[in-house]
Amino acid sequence: MLTKRKIQTTLFLAVAIIILINVLSSRYSFRIDLTEDQRYSLSDATKDILKNLDEPLTVTSYFSEDLPPDIEKVRQDFKDLLIEYSNRSNGNVVYEFINPNEDQEVEMKAQQAGISPIMINVRDKDQVKQQKAYLGALLQLGENKEPIPFIQPGAAMEYALSSGIKKLSAKEKPVVGFLQGHGEPSLDQLIQLRQQLNVMYEERTVTLTDSTNIPFEIKTLVVIAPTDSIVERDFIFLDEFLSRGGRLLLAINNVKGNFQNATGELVNTGFSKWLSKYGITIADNFLVDAKCSSVMVQQNQGMFRMNIPVSFPYLPIISKFNEHPITKGLEAVLFPFASSITVTQKDTSIKFTTLASSSDKSSLETLPLFFDIQKQWGSQDFGMSNIPVAVAVEGKIARNSYTKMVVFSDGDFAVNGEGQQAQQLQPDNVNLMTNAIDWLSDDTGLIELRTKGVTARPLDAQLEDSTKTLVKYANFLIPIGAIILFGFARFQYKKKIRNIIKSTDYV
Amino acid sequence: MKPIWIIAKKEFRTFFDSLAAYIILVVFLGLSGFFTWLYGSDIFFIGQATLMPFFSVAYWTLFFFIPALTMKMLAEERKTGTLELLLTKPITDWQLIAGKFLSVMMLISVALLLTIPYYISISLLGPIDHGSVWSGYFGMLLMSAAFTSIGLFASSITNNQIVAFLIALFIGVFFLIIFDVLSSSFTGTAAYFFNYLSLSTHYESISRGVIDSKDLVYFLSITAIGLLSADSVLSKRNIVE
Repeated sequence: MLTKRKIQTTLFLAVAIIILINVLSSRYSFRIDLTEDQRYSLSDATKDILKNLDEPLTVTSYFSEDLPPDIEKVRQDFKDLLIEYSNRSNGNVVYEFINPNEDQEVEMKAQQAGISPIMINVRDKDQVKQQKAYLGALLQLGENKEPIPFIQPGAAMEYALSSGIKKLSAKEKPVVGFLQGHGEPSLDQLIQLRQQLNVMYEERTVTLTDSTNIPFEIKTLVVIAPTDSIVERDFIFLDEFLSRGGRLLLAINNVKGNFQNATGELVNTGFSKWLSKYGITIADNFLVDAKCSSVMVQQNQGMFRMNIPVSFPYLPIISKFNEHPITKGLEAVLFPFASSITVTQKDTSIKFTTLASSSDKSSLETLPLFFDIQKQWGSQDFGMSNIPVAVAVEGKIARNSYTKMVVFSDGDFAVNGEGQQAQQLQPDNVNLMTNAIDWLSDDTGLIELRTKGVTARPLDAQLEDSTKTLVKYANFLIPIGAIILFGFARFQYKKKIRNIIKSTDYV
Repeated sequence: MKPIWIIAKKEFRTFFDSLAAYIILVVFLGLSGFFTWLYGSDIFFIGQATLMPFFSVAYWTLFFFIPALTMKMLAEERKTGTLELLLTKPITDWQLIAGKFLSVMMLISVALLLTIPYYISISLLGPIDHGSVWSGYFGMLLMSAAFTSIGLFASSITNNQIVAFLIALFIGVFFLIIFDVLSSSFTGTAAYFFNYLSLSTHYESISRGVIDSKDLVYFLSITAIGLLSADSVLSKRNIVE
């Protein structure tokens, strides 16, 4: 017996069950990211950072509007990412989008927040004009602020956002130790490096004596360009440091150039012997590269003495980098008086990565060496290629604890020098060192995100206009034509059948 | 299951015997093609190998297109009295509704299949993200299922096709626009609630390539509620007082 009441109860029950399912599903959900580059999946590092966020974090995004579509896409991608952050942090990440071009006051605010404008070409009524655009964001956690000055199209946004949030939410900065006492440059000689480091780290010097080991709070130890020979005791300390999982960065000068008597000399620190124990050998040689910096040489030109730059292959400019978080985005790094590094793999569980190597035209020169500044270098002098100068190692290097180590065969590339001799370094020189320290100190996997960008998916740019028009109209018209043709054929067929039926004589 | 399939096939054939299916398909393909290839932020303007322009246009065209398909389905049966006649047949109301629902979904699948040339041309022109395209099509099917069930419900409560069409649009507007607007004007739980009800939030998430169980449950829930309500309305005529 069907009654009104019965219908109502059934419907009511069904709806109640459906609502319950919805409530449950928002609690326990799973998702599949079907995009090829996993664009909408946050990494574990980001998830960890967001999980530890216990205060609301505001992201004020200053994005200009009405920009060319490829830049407009950055805005959309950034928004998509923020949606994910907001979902993952249980709503602790709050965001808003502001167009700074609308209002002078807002623009001032954006600039004060540290968002830098960029000039881009905008097509307006068949004219190209320059427009000031903002593509940045300001992160705010309580009183603290951290700007992302400029989000590059296609760049690793997740890294920029997550590292920004981490900087804000980190309660204690990790400590980076700089080994001293063997002729290493003091912290004052590393001005540019320290400027970059002190945002994320606390720097401290480490001096070893019989009674003082490497302090336990130091997770990453940096050894830059020791000149004196190192006593056996210190190597034992380093061994212990590695076996307790300490991270080690070595920038070692195995050779040096003496400009006074124009000879190349060996630097005896003992590091190369110690390192060979771990499968890495810095050879006693000089890397020469056709791609190099120059030195100023005094020459007599008639009556005048002039300083003339002369290419000096002993100052190679390294521009071949392998895909690795440390070398992401680097263009060129000057490695004065570098040597070759060879790696012998003893254990497959240890992962060696060559970070940087020389150009296609390079070679090695052995000691004894006399610098001939007048030498005319030709391609016969550069018979080798891809000689490694920087290596990253990770795995169970010493005993059973996982650790990481980075070795550079040059110690001076990130050293500014002191007093009068202090010189400004190319940004990439310092970036290489900072990236290496970031990679070593990072346990969360955040640094891996540096290489994760959004894959560009451009249409074929070489397309001719006629082909374009063809593709456009073919796609527009063919499906429509197909359905009309099908309809016409079907009506004709029906008509034929009708006519057959009509003409049949039913007797 | 068999009666459902028979009804679906019969309804599907009826679409193609009248002009309705052709007009609707041509309008759907015309609008989608026009905005994907020729005008506005079309493929060549944005210069990216993506079907996003198509998905955002189809979102709106389907919104008009589906009520036009569903409006007569039950309203006309009621008007011509065949609904009463069906009582004598060995099929239940539920089978009738499911069959009609299936036929509409079949027609929409045909419409979407006819846009596959877009996908093929774009994938020849640039490195398209195949995963997000399939996810986009899947999202469109889910959205169509939700709209179809709303349309069937609207058609079940009246015997006038135009009224059914307008009711379906009216309900659709809530899911498409109004809940979205409400969610941005409220804060806290209310905002969350309206945001959850808003169809565009769920559709956007799927059309960019992420299949979330939350979105699946949402679309299937709307479909289920629509179909169940239509069934309840139909079963009223069986009430024995």
